[in-house]
Amino acid sequence: MPELRKDPIVGRWVIISTERGKRPTSFKIAERVLASSGFCPLCPENEDKTPPEVYAVRRNGSKPNTPGWSLRVVSNKFPALIIEGSLNKQGEGMYDKMNGIGAHEVIIETPSHGTPLSQLDLQSFEDVLWAYRERILDLKKDERFRYVLIFKNHGVEAGASLDHSHSQLIALPITPKLVMEEMEGSKNYYNYKDRCVFCDIVHQEREDKRRLIVENNDFLAIAPYASRSPFEVWILPQKHYSSFVNIPPEIYRSLAEIFRDVLSRIEVALEDPPYNFTLHTSPFNNLINDYYHWHFEIIPTLSKIAGFEIGSGFYINSTPPEEAATFLKEIK
Amino acid sequence: MKKILVADDEEGIRILYREELEEEGYEVKVAANGKEALELLDSFVPDLVILDIKMPDISGIEVLKQIRVKFRNLPVILSSAYPEYQQDLSTWASDAYIVKSSNLENLKSTIKKILAG
Repeated sequence: MPELRKDPIVGRWVIISTERGKRPTSFKIAERVLASSGFCPLCPENEDKTPPEVYAVRRNGSKPNTPGWSLRVVSNKFPALIIEGSLNKQGEGMYDKMNGIGAHEVIIETPSHGTPLSQLDLQSFEDVLWAYRERILDLKKDERFRYVLIFKNHGVEAGASLDHSHSQLIALPITPKLVMEEMEGSKNYYNYKDRCVFCDIVHQEREDKRRLIVENNDFLAIAPYASRSPFEVWILPQKHYSSFVNIPPEIYRSLAEIFRDVLSRIEVALEDPPYNFTLHTSPFNNLINDYYHWHFEIIPTLSKIAGFEIGSGFYINSTPPEEAATFLKEIK
Repeated sequence: MKKILVADDEEGIRILYREELEEEGYEVKVAANGKEALELLDSFVPDLVILDIKMPDISGIEVLKQIRVKFRNLPVILSSAYPEYQQDLSTWASDAYIVKSSNLENLKSTIKKILAG
């Protein structure tokens, strides 16, 4: 019989198939759809086709907006939100609205077109994480912004339009509803139990081991108890840190190691599936707290959201997280 | 006289753009689809191209990529009724992205700005 599982943070329900779950081979995409090829505006030598860089890693002393970089961050050429202007919140009868202020940036993770994030060398992977940190800290100075969302779309089915590896950042004048729900859920749990819900998850998953995929001294990767999607993976710090930007600099290497390892395992097990990952971290007005614990959530795009999910907010997951963790754990 | 190539599968748009841009003093050639636009570019090198994105044979984005291989710096404006295509980073190979409107003032000022630059 299927099992209904409740996410302990936001109270979201998931229907988990408890019969033999779908194995990784069930999800292999018959014909890989390649993101459009040909001229790539993110490649070296095409710096003039992007807006000027706001951050870059250039270990060879090359000049900004020229080749020679190993990572670049540029504003989105056609952004969803506009950086210029003051925030103007208004009411329209009973409705609320504001002008579309925000920052939309693209992190070009490598100069090498076609090399996925999972295959970057460790230093380059760590550079990506540092770029996230530096951009968040810079945008935090802007008083209009409440939250910076970092996300990656890998593969056409996950929303990537170019196969040049990149992630994106959107700075928002409001804290997203999902983040608010996580903050409130975590705070409620803390008020009731006097413990961080994520710290409890870390503790229990390390003891239980059925959903533990891999760990190192500073981080662990798990298939969450109420996974919304087959092979959903969370990467969490072992110690309590409420914000991504507050972790000690020396553990970025450790994060790069486990993150790259997890992406490689997913890539091998599911033959390079499309996926999305998002950084979940405390909003700017509450960076340091005892109840929220930053983490990355990686969700392979293996199932479609349809009427039931939209109407109910429930998810249906055909692979129990215990089985997903076993598959991923066995990948060397 | 500056030359502009307009590629759009909607005849009404081709007529409107041609009339309005000729009034502005440009020489305008039109193509009804992506293939025709690429063929025209073999014999006619414009100062600027306006490309519709959603065309039945080759999409405007694919045409843009092929243009970039041959003409790295030829100014291209993508013009679409669908603002969501802006999220496709392939559009960055263009010089501007215009959401179609019956009022062509934005298009005209974008053309002027690009050609002056």
